[in-house]
Amino acid sequence: MKFRAERSEFADAVMWAQRTVGDRATLPALSGIKLRVDGDRLFLASTNLEIDSALSVPVQGERDGAVLVLGKLLADVVRTLPNAAVTAEVTADVLHLTCGRAQFDLRLMPVEDFPALKEPSADGAVAVMKAEEFARTVAQVARSASTDDARPVLTGVNLEATAGSLTAVATDSYRLAMRTVPWDQGADTTVLVPRRAMEQARHAAEILGSEVSLLLEPAQVTFSFSDRRLVTRLIEGKFPDVRQLIPAGFERRLTVDRAELMEVVKRVAVVGDSNTSVTPVTLHLSADTVLVKAGSGEIGQAEEALPGALEGEDLQIAFNPRYLADGLDAAGSERVVLEFRDELKPAVLRPAPADAEAGPASSRPEADFLYLLMPVRV
Amino acid sequence: MTPSRPAEPILHVDMDAFYASVEALRDPALAGRPVLVGGLGGRGVVASASYEARVYGIHSAMPMARALRLCPQAVVVSPDFAAYQDVSQRLRELFLSVTPLVEPLSLDEAFLDVGGSERLFGPPEVIGALLRDRIRGELGLPASVGVAPNKHLAKLCSGKAKPEGLLHLRAGEVAAFLGRLPIRDLWGVGEQTAARLERFGLRTVADVAGTAGPTLVRIVGHAAAAQLASLAVGEDRRPVVPYEPAKGMSTEETFDRDVDDPAVLRRELLRLAETIARRLRRGEVAARTLTLKIRYANFATVTRSRTLALPTDHATELHAESAALLDALRLERVRVRLLGLGVANLVPAGAARQLRLLDDDRWQQVERAADVARNRFGDAAVTRAALLDDG
Repeated sequence: MKFRAERSEFADAVMWAQRTVGDRATLPALSGIKLRVDGDRLFLASTNLEIDSALSVPVQGERDGAVLVLGKLLADVVRTLPNAAVTAEVTADVLHLTCGRAQFDLRLMPVEDFPALKEPSADGAVAVMKAEEFARTVAQVARSASTDDARPVLTGVNLEATAGSLTAVATDSYRLAMRTVPWDQGADTTVLVPRRAMEQARHAAEILGSEVSLLLEPAQVTFSFSDRRLVTRLIEGKFPDVRQLIPAGFERRLTVDRAELMEVVKRVAVVGDSNTSVTPVTLHLSADTVLVKAGSGEIGQAEEALPGALEGEDLQIAFNPRYLADGLDAAGSERVVLEFRDELKPAVLRPAPADAEAGPASSRPEADFLYLLMPVRV
Repeated sequence: MTPSRPAEPILHVDMDAFYASVEALRDPALAGRPVLVGGLGGRGVVASASYEARVYGIHSAMPMARALRLCPQAVVVSPDFAAYQDVSQRLRELFLSVTPLVEPLSLDEAFLDVGGSERLFGPPEVIGALLRDRIRGELGLPASVGVAPNKHLAKLCSGKAKPEGLLHLRAGEVAAFLGRLPIRDLWGVGEQTAARLERFGLRTVADVAGTAGPTLVRIVGHAAAAQLASLAVGEDRRPVVPYEPAKGMSTEETFDRDVDDPAVLRRELLRLAETIARRLRRGEVAARTLTLKIRYANFATVTRSRTLALPTDHATELHAESAALLDALRLERVRVRLLGLGVANLVPAGAARQLRLLDDDRWQQVERAADVARNRFGDAAVTRAALLDDG
């Protein structure tokens, strides 16, 4: 095998493949990245048995062939290469890399040990989304997924496709994020995708732009980009029925500047910051003011007020500042609407419709985002 | 130090046959009978023996099977540490009513420095007697008290005062008191050190006190020699270090027979989680970090920890988290000898509590209700169906 590649393209491809390299302990071959040259294309593949990554980049191919090299080592090497063309050549059991005057010999691993990657079915109905919208949706939703393996179903993003719309939901049981986007594929399907697979797909969407096509199948989901593909296994188990958690009405509604509230919450929360426990921030809501307070007599206290329009009676309600800031960050709009029942019931956070363009929902890209947040009992 | 500080300010209070005495208090039918507290299983040992049982030569840490051969009519009770802990807590409150300087050594013994309490409660020996009487009157349990110039001597005294006695060792009598004692009575002298000393003809504390320093160093080494020499003349400068709130708690179970069934391990974890969660709730704290401990049949021990996003005092959650750690070890028919669960990173539970969207805190309410029932009707009143014995 022998090829010549652009340093930046090659490095970018290796780094991306490295993100789904598996754990050496289970099966040594999983810690490798497979490189294969076919004509003038270099194909890279890696798998951690949950997510399979495959991509290709254009190269000047001189000799076809396939090898397996330790992913981390290869990534560390290409990261440091000078900005010049890279030449790669295999001799015996070594991958010889030359870039400028730098030379590396990387030991090969038995390529036949590398598992066969999952393939999307050829006849599946594929839906296409704008990469930007896909990346934004994942960014808004995935962070609410749990990182706690004790409840596997909560570590995923639930994708529910119906005729015309796709709804992505994640919750760690303390907060929930939900986003609905238009969907050009008709079949009703629901899949529970590991959070890490969603993040990997988002990363691809962000660096590649253009479009992403999604193929939802009963046992796997495929995200395809121009020259990259991710196939992920699904999380087994049933995602909770979250729609019944969303309150049907509200007793109080607050409209407030999003960035300002986020800044105040983050600033005030500093005094409550402690390693062992989360100290809540308390919002004191009155007709035209939001007073944000945090802290205790032990460490210190802070408060700051900002304008906010409240419909309904005054309310004091406390939240984990991180969860509140996450929701505000995800909403993305200029102003947000927060709906409350009382201080122990979930609050609903939505982007506020922009005054100038309060048109139909489809013309307001953020209107289909919802963030549900459980308060802290103090 | 105030000029009025007494010469013998240190008390060592030690409960007599603590677990057995608590059991006799809970079940009056046991009073006056040989009672053994401990496990009955294949590897069970005596955790505590009543004085009636000690007559037969039974002592704690003796294998239960052997104890029962010595005294077949003994009543065996399995330990109820939650109950002992309750008593221990009340004991501690009693100690703290006479001095803030209380250093617990275990559930049933503590050092107290009452040097500053004289004007309120009288001289140390009077305080000692007062404590012993209050423990009898308020807890219904026997305790022995040593009153001495320092911790080492106070502990020796309480040992000599048993059962339910008080020994006051005056500063001027230390040499005479110590001299007669066998070296084994000195703090830190175990079987091996004792054997080594005896080979050189050193049998009593007086023998050690009369031995030249360099000779002692040759027999037991530098570090031990220095400690031995000062203890032999009754010197001990260690202060009473007051109790600090627990940084963590743990519980573990050694199986009668090694276990290789994952279902049994998970079930045992649930039992451990229940125990820990109850202790957390009793202490009004919640834990953020949990640690799973496994000792394999070959005695290799592994621990795995996880820190949660939010603190918990909740058995269901502790169980789910620890079971996930267990699963991650991917044990396949590996024989396990011991399973343990510990928690750390404790925070006050009464403080703010993040509410959940899902499962509605119902398990939490169930667990608290179970606490109330157990406190009123005993530990067997409520348990999980999964923990009921098969059949």
